[in-house]
Parts: sequence; structure tokens; C-alpha cells
Amino acid sequence: VTRTDEATAIAADSVLGKRRARADAWSKVTGGAEYVADRALAALLHARPVVSPFAHARITRVDRSAALQIPGVRHVLVYEDLPIRGGAGRAAEPLASGEVVFMGQPVALVLAETEAAAEDGAELVEVDYDLLDPAVDPQASVLPGAPLARVELLSESADGEMHGSIGKARTETAEEELSANVYERRIFTSGQPEEALAACSHVFKRRFTVPWIHQGYLEPQVAMASPDRDGGVSIYTSTQGTFYTRSVIAGVFDIPPGKVRVEAGTLGGAFGGKIALIEPLVVAAALAAKRPVRVAWTRSEDFAAGNPAPSFDVELTLGLTADGRFGALDAVMVVDTGAFTDNGTASLAAARMPGPYRFQATRVKLRGVRTNRPGAGAYRAPGGPQCAFALESLIDEAAQALGLDPVELRRMNVLATDEIAASGSRTAGHGMDAVLDTVASHPLWQRRDELPADQGIGLAIGMHPGQTMGAAASCRMDPDGGMTIVHGYVDMTGTDATMQVIAAEAMGVAPDLVRVEARDTRTAPPAGLSGGSMVTYCLGSAVKAAALSAREQLLDMAAGELEIAAGDLEVVDGAVRPVGSPAQAIAITSLVAKASGLGNGCLPIEGHGAGHPPELAPSAAAALAHVAVDRETGQVSLIDYVAVQDVGRVLNPALCEGQMRGGAAQAIGMALFEGMEYSDDGELLTGSFLTYAMPRSERLPDMETIIVEVPSEHGAFGARGIGESAIVPGAAAVANAVAAAATRMSDLPMTAGRVWQALRS
Amino acid sequence: VIPASCNYERPATIGDAFAALADPDAKVLAGGQSLVPMMKLRLARPSTLVDVCGIVGAHVEQIGGALHVGAGVTYDELLRSGAVVPTALAEAARSVGDLQIRNAGTIGGALAHADPACDIAAPMLSLDATLRLQSPSGERLVAIDEFFTGPYTTVLDAQELVMEAILPAPGDHAAGSAYVSFEDLASGYPIVGVAVCVEAQDGRVARCGAAVTGVGPSPTRVPALEAALLGQRDAELPAAIDGVELLAGEHADYHRHLLRVAANRAFACAADRAQGRAT
Repeated sequence: VTRTDEATAIAADSVLGKRRARADAWSKVTGGAEYVADRALAALLHARPVVSPFAHARITRVDRSAALQIPGVRHVLVYEDLPIRGGAGRAAEPLASGEVVFMGQPVALVLAETEAAAEDGAELVEVDYDLLDPAVDPQASVLPGAPLARVELLSESADGEMHGSIGKARTETAEEELSANVYERRIFTSGQPEEALAACSHVFKRRFTVPWIHQGYLEPQVAMASPDRDGGVSIYTSTQGTFYTRSVIAGVFDIPPGKVRVEAGTLGGAFGGKIALIEPLVVAAALAAKRPVRVAWTRSEDFAAGNPAPSFDVELTLGLTADGRFGALDAVMVVDTGAFTDNGTASLAAARMPGPYRFQATRVKLRGVRTNRPGAGAYRAPGGPQCAFALESLIDEAAQALGLDPVELRRMNVLATDEIAASGSRTAGHGMDAVLDTVASHPLWQRRDELPADQGIGLAIGMHPGQTMGAAASCRMDPDGGMTIVHGYVDMTGTDATMQVIAAEAMGVAPDLVRVEARDTRTAPPAGLSGGSMVTYCLGSAVKAAALSAREQLLDMAAGELEIAAGDLEVVDGAVRPVGSPAQAIAITSLVAKASGLGNGCLPIEGHGAGHPPELAPSAAAALAHVAVDRETGQVSLIDYVAVQDVGRVLNPALCEGQMRGGAAQAIGMALFEGMEYSDDGELLTGSFLTYAMPRSERLPDMETIIVEVPSEHGAFGARGIGESAIVPGAAAVANAVAAAATRMSDLPMTAGRVWQALRS
Repeated sequence: VIPASCNYERPATIGDAFAALADPDAKVLAGGQSLVPMMKLRLARPSTLVDVCGIVGAHVEQIGGALHVGAGVTYDELLRSGAVVPTALAEAARSVGDLQIRNAGTIGGALAHADPACDIAAPMLSLDATLRLQSPSGERLVAIDEFFTGPYTTVLDAQELVMEAILPAPGDHAAGSAYVSFEDLASGYPIVGVAVCVEAQDGRVARCGAAVTGVGPSPTRVPALEAALLGQRDAELPAAIDGVELLAGEHADYHRHLLRVAANRAFACAADRAQGRAT
């Protein structure tokens, strides 16, 4: 841990910064954790989908008769059987509504008493299709006359609704005729791009591509739903957001939100991919069948019909002034978000293009294009690593060409606190300077010019802005001297263990005395999605406030007992006492017992906390990659990897390092292994782990993690949200290392065959 | 991922196994690391699974210099048997799948499955292995060279079982072998796998076997490569390797190139081992 001056010393008895296992770690690694698919439910119907073998077709006939003959099969549902009453986008179309728009799209759902019977039934459902021309290649699908990915549009979902505003943009004027597949054409500008570019002394230009990437969560999409007697529905699901799911379901089925009860199960990985994707289908089936229903995708169904990260294609131009300042950035981006346009993934990618840098002027021309693939979803720092791959590659190329120090070139162009970014928003305080100091002095970086032939070291940085939201929590004091924190956020990354430490530190007790309960939508305080690097930053502040409020009540009570001002009291060893006077200590247990006593006029001790940080707390990150390239085969071997990240204040180093390592692994996957491939007909060629390459542990190097602490102003104890920045710089760092060792690659993943081709030409 | 319904039998004797296999839709189960995934995708729908793991050989033993490997031996058992296993075979066995697969998948199962990218077939071919097969009509020995007939097909009759593989005793010369493969990043199957075994005399290759896997319809010996290696001193191969049927594909050029690289590296490594140079 590199602690900066601002990261002031913490008390010797502080529980912050200590390595602690998350409460669910043991049950997860020993198979004891209950996941959604594990829960037994009386009268449950199992579901298996009938999926389209074609990317684009019209359904002309569905014959269910043979399937209904299978013993145990109860229903075979098609779109027309579903009680859809509202909503928009993919959520309102959980089964294909006449027009199939991607291969693997569910066309019918078989419900049976056992999953095996449902599978047998699904095999016997006969579907006839009229084939339609598919739109597959994103660049070709942009052009007028291209086959349309959707002939009939049901409804469009509001763009970017989940991720908030992304700055100034104007709709591109129709100077160029484009296909109706282009559902979004916008230009984001700052300054005077043409003049700025003309004034630049050095201009670098390159086209970069990143394919569709699946989040690769270990637990495929799964949910259960039961109709309730009051006309509502109860849902038990693998989700990142119970309240968000509630609002989607309430909208699609026109049920009052109060009658939609959503409980989150243990999350078997999500990374942005589990946001109300499968719940509309399972609720529709449960309401249609009037019985509890479970839908659990297989791995291949999830690959074909999930919501992976969209493909990304950018023609990027970077102009530098004579003194190395970034003068102009010009990007022409084509983002293929598949057959649905939910989630705003195209405009999110456009917003990430300028990275954490200051430019005199920028112009990002965005085209969001619809093709016959599943709809795109969020994946850890949406657009972040893809944009960083392009921009950090070009910056590296500029540094090499101009003989500039890559660290200093970045440092002089990074936005300073309070500076206005290209998006028009003010730059919140960040620790990129300290991160760059750490990189510059790292032995691996200093050795970069002393390597054997065919080895290289690459650097890249990234800083995801994250988001803010209002969050709330309560803190109840318990008779055993412990406390219970109640909130409504799904634990995606170990955040409950973080809340435990925050509450313990605020109260002054041991973390073991803190229980953290994430409740369902019936009883939890209002909560947002787990995502956007928000939970530690926003909920953390609320939990701290709730614990401080309970502490104040406790101290007030003790002050009355001791006849000493509350301000002169402290909490030590499970007791409240005058500062430095153990002899007069009153155990928390006896205060709590008294607080719940009869007829003594005492109030129960329960604190409430809420908050909405007034600004972002971006987490600066950098990655160093050391590679060897086998020139004979093109194979890239990763020898070393160093992740450096400003976490604000380290609450639990084990969890911070986990985020940094996981982000690095996913970035390395993007760099070297991953990519969804489709045939010219729109058939998914990488629909299982036999064909889609994940960054498995044996292919990853030992990683070094260096935590930097530059406290945020508003996070609990200075903490920042760190989940997203962790993935941003890695792919670019590996690409820059490959460039230093052998050749510059513009297309991900950098497979051996591609590197070999590049070396040959 | 739910297989169609089927029966499971674990016969106690080979006679019971033959009887169960009289049903033309019955399939032999010998570890299940390929068959079961195919059943889960319903690409295979046997009426009955006849589990032969307890019947076919479970031995790894040296008999008169030859190495006998029972068909029921798992990859992991082979690697930990303590017997002197030719290096190429051990390298191939080690490169199969992951630990769970090596714990369950068997040598006989892998050979009988006849995957075009079967790792262990290449060293078996390069080492001149013989397979002992047994059927209701008796026993026969088949050179592995004549065993594979195409993708997932072999000379095995419907009720015939692979009982063991026999690797002949090495000759009098110093011998060395190596298996070099380039794997598909997702599946781990070899895109190109080359096994080379050489016997060196006076610093030259006096005898050699060379075989490839992953590149054609079946793992196969490469006589042209063997001919090129005979008499060689240094590890420099001819520019092209002829006589190997490559599955046509988008990356055929690259695969042909990898084939040459793998052959070079396998030969260099095997030659070093034969001459006692550490690798």
C-alpha cells in the first residue's frame, strides 16, 4: 500500500486496512452457498426454451402438440400466451414476437414437472420459419440498402436510462444516407476540433476493433417466480439489483411495484450482465401457468441469448502540439449493440473515448448499429477498456515516435482536479499523479530497456468515472453487543464484508460483531443497482452514517448514566466509558438491554443513514505488462503483470486486491483470448467454453498489486469505488507490451495467428 | 444439458459386456469425458451405457521390455504409475484437458473415441504401438497405424473392446521422444500436435517415428517426415512437410506453418533427449 500525505494516519486500534475474509467465502469455496437454482420450491414448474437456429426469420407456425404428449409437460408457451402489458425493449419481448432477431433467441418455453421432461418436450416443439436476410457485419449494416436487422419494431427502450447523462451531444445531421439499422447517430464535440487538429504538429491515426465479449460469469442466468394470491409476484433471482428488477417487472406486467417482491440469491458472478434480463420471461411464464416457474439457462443458451458487451470499431486520430500536449481527438465509432438497443451501451462507449485526458478539442462521431445478435449489455466499466485500448495504444505510439517518456506524456495531459472535461463535467479529485509516480519508480518499468529480444513492457492507464446514487441503511444494536446493518444492495464483489468494516470502525467495535443483512424489496431500505463502482462509495457512506447515528444514541444513553457529556465518551472493548477511564465503563450489552427494557422510558437504539455523494470519486488505475512474443508462432506469453490503483482508502486489502486481480484477469482475457465470433449467417461460433476462450488461471501470470491511497472527499473514510477502473487499462498495457516486443496490434484479441500474420506482413 | 433417458450397465465380466453390446444402440462407457458431454447436448443418444472400466485392463507394466497400458488406465494413473513411460506419451497425457478430465478419461476410451485431435494418439503412432482388441469371436492385435479409419471411426467391430495398448521395447540405440502441441485456447485440444521419437547412433538418426494429430481426419504417421529425419544430425527440417492431410479452414496457412514449427521443436527435443542433452 502506497499511502499519500492526504491519506492521514489512522488510529492504532482501527479496523480499516486489515485483511479479512468475506463472510461468504468459506461457503462458496466448499459448495455450501445456496444459489438460486438450488432452492427447492413446492409445485415448481421447470422450463426449457425452444430457441431459433436462425439469426433472422419470421415464425410461421409453432406446433406444440407432440411436446404436450410428453408425460409431465404442462405448457408450451409462445409470445402470444404471455401477459405482457407494458414495458419496452427486450424486457417486453421475452419470447420472439413473430420475428426472430438473433440465433438462440427463445421462441417458445416448455414448462414441465421436471427439467428432463421439459427438455424432452422442447425437442418435440416444431417451429417453421421463413428466413430473412440477416444483418451481421456492423460496417456493412450501416450502409443504405443493407438487410434490416429488424423488419418490424415493437418498441424502443429509453437509451442510457441506467447510466445517466453523458454530456453534450448533437444529433448528426443527415448529410450521409445510412441504413435504418443505424439507430443512433450523434456527434459529441468540445472546442473547435477541425482548427485544433490543423494546429497539431504530430498526428497519429489508427483503426481499432474489439469484438463482442461475454461477461463469463460462472453461474448462467437463472430466476424463479411465483404468482402471489394478491395478484402480485415473488421473484428469487440472480441479479445485481432487486429494486431495478422490481420496476422493470412492474412496468412490463402492469403490477403495482408494492406487489412485486424481489429477493436476490447468492450471485454467481455478474459483471454487469445480470440486470433484469431473464426475469421478464420467468414472471411471464409463472403468471401464464399460475404456478411457480424456474428458468435456468445452460451455458450455451447464455452465450447465445445473454447480453454481452457490444463490439467496438473506432477510427481514432490523436493530434499533439509541438510540446506534447494533446491538441485534438477525433473518433469515428461504430458500436454494434445487436438486435436490441437497451442499456445505452453505444453512447456509453462514446462518452469514454477521451479517457482521463485534457484535449483542446474533441469530436466523437458515434454510430450505434443494430444487427442480428442478442442485445448488448453492460460489462464492467462499459466501453472503458475498449476505448482505453484504442487511445492508450495511440498515446504509446506517439510517445515512441516522438521519443517522449510514456509516463510523463500521460501525466502532463491528465485532467487536473476541477478541470472541465470534454464531456463538460468538472473533474473530481483523483490520484492519477500518485499512481503514475508508483509506475515510474517500479523496477519492472525501469528495466524496460534492458530486456532480451522479443520481450517488451507496456504501460497504460485508465480512470473510470463511476457514478453516484442515493443510498440508505439502518443500524440496529443487538443484545449481544453486536449490531445489524440492513440495506438493499446485492453483494456482487464482497461489499457486505466492506460494510461490516465500515460499521465496525464507525462504532468502535470489532468487525465480527457486525452482521450485514441485504434484504429483499419487501423490507429493505430503497436501493439502487450494484454497479457503476457505486456500492462502497455510496452505500458505504450511508452505512457509516447509520452506525454513527446508533453510536450517538448509545453515547447519549451512557452520558445520562454517567452524567458526563457524550463528547467525553469513547467506545472501547465493547463498552462505553469516559475517555481513558476503564473503571467507569458500561458494557454495550447492558445499555442495549436497558434500551429495550419495560417502562423505563428508554428508546430502542437504531441508527439510520442515507446519503448521495455530491460528486464522483474516480479511481485512477495503471497496468504494467511484461510479455514475450514467440516470433515463430506469434504466441504472446505474459511474464509479469503489475496493477496499480488508487482506492482512496483501503478498507480491506484482500477485497481491493481481489478487485484488481479480477479486473486484470478480465483485461488480459480481452487482450489475448476472448471474442464472440459469428458466421456470415449470424450463427454464433463460440457458444460454449469449448470454443470461447476465457482467461483461465493457468494462463495468467503471477500478478503484483500495488494499492495507492489518495482519499476521496465524500466516501466513507476516503474510500473510492474501485470495481470498474480495475479492468480499464490492462488490455492496452498488454498491447503496448506486444508493440514493444514485436509489433503493434490494432485488433483484439491478439491471438497467436493474428500476431503471426502481423509479423509476416 | 440433460441427456435423453438411457440405461446404465456395469457388467462384471467381459461376456456380460459383449451381451449388453449386442444391442446396436448401446455404447461403451470408458471414462465418459467425451461421450457424456455429447449425450448432454443430445448429439449422442445411446440406449444403454455399458461401463467397461472394471473389465478392460487397469495395468501399466513392463513385460519383456514392452510397455503394456491397460485400456481402463486413466491419464493420471498412467502419469503416476511409476513405470517408464516414453516422454512423448507422458507429455501428451499431461496436455490432455484438466485435472478432472485426466482423473476420469482413459487411454482406451480416448483411442476408441478416435477424436481427430486426440493427443495421445500421436505418441502412440510414433512409438509403433499395437492395440489388443477383444470381441465375442476372439482376440486380435492391430497396429495403431491401421486402427483409425476417419473422424470418430476405427476398425473396432460393434461388440469389440480395446483391452490394452502395447508399446514395443526400445531398440539398442539411445532413444528419445517428444510431443509438442499448440492448443486451441478455449478447448485445449491441439490445433497441431507432433510426436517424434528417434533412436540415435553416432550422432545421427538411425530410426525414427513421427506422427501428427489435430490437423486431419485422423491422427496419422507422417512417412515423409520420418524419411526426412532419417540420417539427420541437426534439427533442421525440410521447408514443407508433405503427406499430411490438413483439414481445410480459414487458418490453413497458419496451421501448416505451426505444423512445421511443432515438428522442428519435437525433433530437436527428441534428438536432445536421445543424446542425453538436458531438455
